[in-house]
Amino acid sequence: MSAGAKKRIMKEYGECMAETPPGMKINFDERNMTKWEVLMDGPDGSVYAGGHFKLEIVFPNEYPFKPPVVSFRTKIYHPNVSNDDKGSMCLGLLRPDEWKPPNKVVAVLRLIQSLMVEPNIDDAIEPSIANEYKENRKEFEKNAKDWVKRYAK
Amino acid sequence: MATTEVDDERIEELETLQSIYPELTLDPANPFSAQLDLLVAPAKPLPVTFEPDLGRPDHPAVGNTEANNTENAVVHRLAYLPPLCLKVELPAQYPAEAPPKVNLTTSPSWVPLDAIEKLEREAYLLWGEYSGGQMLFAYISYLQEAAETTFGLSELLLPDSVKAELLYYSKCTKKELFDQETFDCEVCLEPKKGSVCYRMERCNHVFCVNCLQDYYNNCIKEGDVNNVKCMSTDCGKHANGSKKERLVSPKELLQIPLSLEVVERYAKIKRKKKIEADLTIIHCPRSWCQGAMRTTKYPKIKDVREMDDSDSEADEPAEASSREEQAESGLERRRVGTVGMDRLAVCEDCTLAFCKVCLASWHGDFVRCEPRDSTQLTEEDQASLNFIMKNTSPCPTCAVPCQKSYGCNHMTCFQCKSHFCYLCGAWLTPENPYGHFNNPRNKSCFNRLMDMAEGDMANGAAQFGGARGAEQMAEFWEQEAMRIQMELNEQDS
Repeated sequence: MSAGAKKRIMKEYGECMAETPPGMKINFDERNMTKWEVLMDGPDGSVYAGGHFKLEIVFPNEYPFKPPVVSFRTKIYHPNVSNDDKGSMCLGLLRPDEWKPPNKVVAVLRLIQSLMVEPNIDDAIEPSIANEYKENRKEFEKNAKDWVKRYAK
Repeated sequence: MATTEVDDERIEELETLQSIYPELTLDPANPFSAQLDLLVAPAKPLPVTFEPDLGRPDHPAVGNTEANNTENAVVHRLAYLPPLCLKVELPAQYPAEAPPKVNLTTSPSWVPLDAIEKLEREAYLLWGEYSGGQMLFAYISYLQEAAETTFGLSELLLPDSVKAELLYYSKCTKKELFDQETFDCEVCLEPKKGSVCYRMERCNHVFCVNCLQDYYNNCIKEGDVNNVKCMSTDCGKHANGSKKERLVSPKELLQIPLSLEVVERYAKIKRKKKIEADLTIIHCPRSWCQGAMRTTKYPKIKDVREMDDSDSEADEPAEASSREEQAESGLERRRVGTVGMDRLAVCEDCTLAFCKVCLASWHGDFVRCEPRDSTQLTEEDQASLNFIMKNTSPCPTCAVPCQKSYGCNHMTCFQCKSHFCYLCGAWLTPENPYGHFNNPRNKSCFNRLMDMAEGDMANGAAQFGGARGAEQMAEFWEQEAMRIQMELNEQDS
């Protein structure tokens, strides 16, 4: 990783520390600054409220020219998060062709928060969950809350 | 004398001005005169037309800018014009009893004389308004304000002789002022001096040269040429949500600057991608070459320094539609149905002349393409083949197609001399070919030796009477039966 990339990650970390977006905590390891661990609370009013989710943000060597890679380390029942042990996400500005170098991690974290409030059904990685969200909201909410209880407490 | 000088209001005013405008110069020979260059940076760049013949006094079109603009003259929009040079001389009676003497010039002279006179007259008017007070600061402010609207000029027609100087001045000033500014590069998040930054031509976003180089070099290295566009997040965003972003032109990349080698690679990949997406482009049949055929659509790259095209991704849907048309007609890259000289293609790399249809080296205008198979027939040939398949009976031995023009249904193949039945296509024993028509077990042919003796389809019959016709009939009735059965099923349920 280039010195410029490291510098930028440090700067972004500084900004995050100075003004952490509400509902999250960032763990930063100075020895490996390319991997952040974020603890995100389920936003109030969403089906994930009360849950605590561990996320991993990995910065590629080409950062900020390539987007960071985001994954849920805590299982979450969500149309935009892959329902496997990877918990990966790939939508919006996280997509390599949509990502622009001036975008920052904070913007990514905000995107994730807003997706927890309202999933993006048109860009779902889990079509069956998206379908359930569309056709049978009650069932979706029950499942999502169930998973929060089971995995995110 | 020394005391009067210090107390002199004129000296006091000029000293005050100098502290406001450090670039103000005092004339060492005359302490009561000063000179100041005023920047002319119109709020909107001034449209300027340069006219070769304007210098001639007999030219009738002087001042008639509109007539000239419409002709082939190019309008330059100048962001900066050579400064307005103000020279003031303060007479002994200034300010109480005499106005200042002002002289306005530009070098080269570009402000029309009447505009200069009007500006100079303003000094006198202002002096009157200030009724004998110090008015130089007010006057300079007035000039600066007037400069923002280029002294009320909306366009300018100037002789060609000053063109180079004015264009150069505008460019240099722009660069100079830009270099002095400080920008926050949105990518490295560092404040950077303008001298190490670059402003994007189309959208005016500014990034530091380092980040631009890193980004574009990386994109081009990975062949990801579609990301070679402005890095800004709000670039290309429209109110209606549609996105139209333009790729950076090779010429601009060189200005950033990127190395010639990288920019050449960029132009090459971009062109290659376009050619690959275009199904009308056939590639050279030589396996060691595989260059594209010559075309005016994608001119070969000559000099990237001259390439200022910045095509957008949005150009592509238009091409895509023509692509679909081709896909629909089921034709592949080889231009089936192309005839005559239209088949000729020339490889842009090895200059091999070849045929678009059969991919052999060029065989001339009148030659049919060989070898042929069903995927590379001309439209005409395909139609003949379709007709043959529908309206002939094949010989059961050698499959040569035949159609009966007259006579009985016992056929002898003109090619292999096999005997066969025209009606059902069965092979007949040469010892007793007619037995076939006399055996009641051959239901479809029994007693039909002389059917259609006047020739197949002779009486305007729509249906071919031979073996393939029988097959077609059988198929037709089978489908009819299916249809009727389906209808019955539906009625039942």
